[in-house]
Amino acid sequence: MNAAPPALLRMRGIGKEFPGVRALSDVELAVHPGEVVALLGENGAGKSTLMNILAGVHADYEGAIEIDGEPVRIHSPKHAQQHGIAMIHQELNLVPELSVSDNVFLGRELRTARGTLDRAAMHARTAELLADLGLTLSPGRLVRDCRIAEQQLVEVAKALNGTLRILVLDEPTSALAEAEVERLFVVIRRLAARGVGLIYISHRLEELAEIADSATVLRDGTFAGRRPVAGTDRAELVRLMVGRPLGELFPRAAEQRSDGPVRLRVRGLTTTPAPASTRTPLHSVDFEVRAGEILGVAGLMGAGRSEVLEALFGAGDRVRGEITLNDRPYSPHTPRTAIRRGIALVAEDRKAQSLVIGNTVRFNTTLAALDRYLRPWRTVDARREKAAAAGKVAELRTKTHSLDAVVGTLSGGNQQKVVLAKCLLTEPSVLLLDEPTRGIDVGAKAEIHALMDALAARGTAIIAVSSELPELIGMCDRIIVLCEGRLTGEFHRDPAHGPAATQEAILTAAMARQNVVAGPPADGNGAET
Amino acid sequence: MSKTLPPARDTAAGTDEHLRTLRERLSRALPSLGSLQSCIGLLLVVAVGIVTKGQIFWNQDNLTNAVTAFASRGILAVGVTLVILTAGIDLSVGSVLGIGSMTAAMLLVHHGLSPWAIVPLCALVGAFFGFLNGIGTTWLRIQSFVMTLAMLSVVRGIDRQLSNNVAVGVQLVDPHGHLTPKAAAFAALGTPGHTLIAGVGYPVIAFVAVCVLVQLLLSRTRFGRHVYAVGGNPTAARLSGVNVSLVIITVFTLCGLLAGFAGPIDAAYSASADPLAGTSYELDAIAAAVIGGTSLAGGKGTITGTAVGALILTLLDNILGLNAISDNMQMIIKGLIVVVAVVLQRPGFLQPLVEPLRRLRARA
Repeated sequence: MNAAPPALLRMRGIGKEFPGVRALSDVELAVHPGEVVALLGENGAGKSTLMNILAGVHADYEGAIEIDGEPVRIHSPKHAQQHGIAMIHQELNLVPELSVSDNVFLGRELRTARGTLDRAAMHARTAELLADLGLTLSPGRLVRDCRIAEQQLVEVAKALNGTLRILVLDEPTSALAEAEVERLFVVIRRLAARGVGLIYISHRLEELAEIADSATVLRDGTFAGRRPVAGTDRAELVRLMVGRPLGELFPRAAEQRSDGPVRLRVRGLTTTPAPASTRTPLHSVDFEVRAGEILGVAGLMGAGRSEVLEALFGAGDRVRGEITLNDRPYSPHTPRTAIRRGIALVAEDRKAQSLVIGNTVRFNTTLAALDRYLRPWRTVDARREKAAAAGKVAELRTKTHSLDAVVGTLSGGNQQKVVLAKCLLTEPSVLLLDEPTRGIDVGAKAEIHALMDALAARGTAIIAVSSELPELIGMCDRIIVLCEGRLTGEFHRDPAHGPAATQEAILTAAMARQNVVAGPPADGNGAET
Repeated sequence: MSKTLPPARDTAAGTDEHLRTLRERLSRALPSLGSLQSCIGLLLVVAVGIVTKGQIFWNQDNLTNAVTAFASRGILAVGVTLVILTAGIDLSVGSVLGIGSMTAAMLLVHHGLSPWAIVPLCALVGAFFGFLNGIGTTWLRIQSFVMTLAMLSVVRGIDRQLSNNVAVGVQLVDPHGHLTPKAAAFAALGTPGHTLIAGVGYPVIAFVAVCVLVQLLLSRTRFGRHVYAVGGNPTAARLSGVNVSLVIITVFTLCGLLAGFAGPIDAAYSASADPLAGTSYELDAIAAAVIGGTSLAGGKGTITGTAVGALILTLLDNILGLNAISDNMQMIIKGLIVVVAVVLQRPGFLQPLVEPLRRLRARA
């Protein structure tokens, strides 16, 4: 007699072959009611393929899927929906020009007796769903006007608006700041308490202890193991994912109090965005960065972190303030002038801002530095250009089968290396990094960290923005903290030089302004009930 | 009985290496031919022509006549391809060609200029309107579809106003009934029967030269790279130091310049500048680009592809004409060809056809 109740979801012997490539073979996954299963693996390990099979995107898979112990075959996304399976992708699937409630009811709109849309009923139900998630948001608001964190919860509400049994979250926290992550976790726990099974994909291992019950690890399209999260240390999970011992994730040695020359000195950096823009205005921000130094910029979403980098790169709003670059006055005008003066920017969103995704590795690598490979008549010297691109590909150990490979076919980590190569070919003296390791796997992360360290050692000044505090603390010599466009703290890696950079200290500074605005901080105990 | 293959497999290891280098060379050569599909399309069209009309179709006179008739639209297609590569569109090229042709006729008839002066001046007039298109799409941030649609109307209006709605003939005759020297020189720009080298006339030479020059511009220069970057991802281009607005303005200006340049050819070919000359040519031009594999989403396409697309449309026109198919049917067929071409060029369209073959090979 079977004592244990059947698992909510069991996938067994799952395999999938794409033309010419085997993406998955013999993978298994089980989710019990109320369980949060972390699905781990490097980029290209097969996580997305597995989840797409579950969501009905790939109908021709091998193996068996059971729901409540009953074998099912999932042919189509609609079919998956009928089984109560919902997936929230990293790139959200909302229609920005429609309202929150229109999105929640997209495809299953309520209608009145006369056949017209029943807006009132939909608004009411949406408000109910949102309140259930602890979100106060007008259902009539356009999704375009909502923040990323809010949009994500709108997706959750959309999933809840049917029968939700299994919810897949693909890197839900990669675009969130710490405080918003906490709110998402509250929602996840609430769903789990109701018996929903959750599959949680993330590259942030440090989150797992807080949110996941067990972890299933994939490696190169195969099942690498399943571990309870409690009692398994991070190194063990990394070993399962990578299959080899990993070099130090944060190779930066103790603070090298750089006595190099000041590369960039910023005084009173102020911006005034256009009224309709979503950019945060900066208010008189001061800082400096020396040759060989890695300066971190911390803050919540909307604190103005990216805005600082964009302002320095001439890619944002009109800038006021006094800036000196290598002891010469500098006024950021356009990215073109910034690049000429030796500043390079690795932008936040590599697909939207950095890569011409349909073009080749070579095209992308040399795009910003093309001026260096010109012959008369502004023709490109293909030989020198190719040599330069090949050199950077080798130096950064970018995995690509050729320089003429389309960059969109590379994994996230390798795409990011192409972006870095593009910036490095311009030989910058100041390198601006906006979320340099977002959404890339542990192996590539460690390599990019090592590269940052090596660049600093060669005298490059680096300014790095990251939402991952452990990364900032692990990599930066100094961290400045922004809140609503103002500087609210400066912390040091070496406590001998000033306040020590700890998560608590940085978070406190990041929320400094909110406390002032909201009055005395309310105790967190009201949130759970 | 199906298993008689294995003996042939023995040499596979040796030929595999050979095959791979061949395939690599092919895959490098293909992009410069536009796309495999459009080349196959061209061969199919030629085959249809030979099968239905034989020697009447496949002889130098007929083919050069066909290309001559299409040359001005081919030149428009090259310009439009440039714009489409930056993810824009130019609907005004037909009108700009019209005003180019009218300018040419008036400069010849009223001012007695020689073709050496007329051609560059017409190109300048076209470039001016193209420049305005560029300014409208960048500085005024009007979508290029809307901006050039407006320009289509404005330029056609100017054309008709200038000509007072009357066609201007370019075959000026002296009292003895002979063409004046200037008019004779102008006729060499495209009037059927005038050839320059080896039985080929100016329109064809101009078309080929434009194709070669613009293809080199795209594939060999920094500007060409920037065109693809702007079309592929304008934000990434800007953050890589590309002056996006300048690239777009330049591309529209070049497109207008080419349309203006094609004007005199059209005037000489028709022996007069009609105020309606070039009407709906923009559709042929866009169709040629699309058939040649240029993506309207921008960032993907080549001039060689467009040239192949233009040839397909040219020969199709010719074959349908030779077979006495009515104009109405011709329009319908051309429309269908565009749809088929776009569907055929989807990435991975050939996959289902190739895949079973590859699997078979892998098994063997």
